[in-house]
Amino acid sequence: MATILIVDDDAFVRTLLKDVLEGRGHALLEAEDGREALDVLGERAPQLVLLDLFMPRLSGMEALALMRERWPSARVLVISSLDSERLVSQALEAGAAGYITKPFHPVEITSAVDRALAN
Amino acid sequence: MASSYWIGDAEGRVLGPVTLDVVQELVSTGRLQDVTRASSDGQRWGPPEQFPEILALLLHAPRPEALLELERQEAGRVWDQLRGMQGKAPHELFHIEQGASVDAYRNAFFKLVKRFYPDRVRAQAHPDLRRAYSDAFHFLSRLMVHIENELAAGRTASAMPTMRVTPLSTPVARPVQPVQFPAPERPKPAMRPLPKTPEPAARPTYEATEFVGLERRDDRVEVTVKVNARNSAMFTQHPLVNLQSGGVFLACHTSLPLGTPVEVVFRFDEPEREIKARGRVILENAGADPRTPVGFGVRLVSFRDAEKNFVQAFLQRVAARR
Repeated sequence: MATILIVDDDAFVRTLLKDVLEGRGHALLEAEDGREALDVLGERAPQLVLLDLFMPRLSGMEALALMRERWPSARVLVISSLDSERLVSQALEAGAAGYITKPFHPVEITSAVDRALAN
Repeated sequence: MASSYWIGDAEGRVLGPVTLDVVQELVSTGRLQDVTRASSDGQRWGPPEQFPEILALLLHAPRPEALLELERQEAGRVWDQLRGMQGKAPHELFHIEQGASVDAYRNAFFKLVKRFYPDRVRAQAHPDLRRAYSDAFHFLSRLMVHIENELAAGRTASAMPTMRVTPLSTPVARPVQPVQFPAPERPKPAMRPLPKTPEPAARPTYEATEFVGLERRDDRVEVTVKVNARNSAMFTQHPLVNLQSGGVFLACHTSLPLGTPVEVVFRFDEPEREIKARGRVILENAGADPRTPVGFGVRLVSFRDAEKNFVQAFLQRVAARR
């Protein structure tokens, strides 16, 4: 089981993800935006980050770049409603382990998380 | 190297750095709306007018009347595409190996099916487009269940039995009849509790209702409730939806459909305080169950501990007075 940080400005999405992953025995941390996520990463060491891209204060793309630089061992899975193919490529090139578009299915989340943690 | 931009919307959210190509793709597909500011370095921001290349993209977004026609045409294409999918071997449809694992099928399914998620369609869209998306989504959901059944039985995933297609009636809008498969008969209970979150259940149906996370902010229904000693039982009286379980049951004659995202504004009278909490309708009783009050139950998902403590203290005061 792993510690997973959920970064999304939408509390409802955070709760949905939390419900799915807590049921699998993972420990969940939450952050409302990219800046808060970096603060959490500085204090805790989650193995996986589920990261939204469109957030206040610090965008997901900027947070992703800083995460890869400062905590390279943390895997980052992007979960975004922005389903541009170019944006997907850009996020993967920036070091994201995967990109899931919203809406998501619980089965999709659990298998993507399992894959990211296994790698 | 292509220039990068940061884009901000009316809700204070920021996307960037992204290339102009990305902005163009998101604007043209309606994914990026309400752009109120932009930046070329993420530090200095200005209105879109200060960035002619961004402004040009925003101004060239299709006008509503043009959009309707585009959507009607898109609906026709989706129905054509759906016809092409029917009877096709699943591995061909999903572009994977014939003996692929169930995970490989699921991954390919998720990638394809989301293109047809009905709620991706804007609220004012041409009605054919929503119907076409729903048809395609439903077909693919049933196909995925069929594939899982086939693989679980040790068989190769084969095409589903062919479904009937409505003869073409108009040059563009060509709806496909719903898939004709016997669905398991289940008695409809009087009370229909929705699971906390669609669990990765043993038998997912993969229908659109199981997909979450894309609720539009403007889809939420705002419900304002004046809370006083007389109606405080809304937090305690329902056996399933109560403060302890993270919810509230709103007894009223108007119900909301299951799954409706709501924002509940609680206005307490003593002490005066307003608490806003977002949630989702997880239970409805339109009167079919006489043992419980008529109304609907909401699971509150943005209810902070301090707010919950306030409600608990309020309830204790009410109980002490009785």
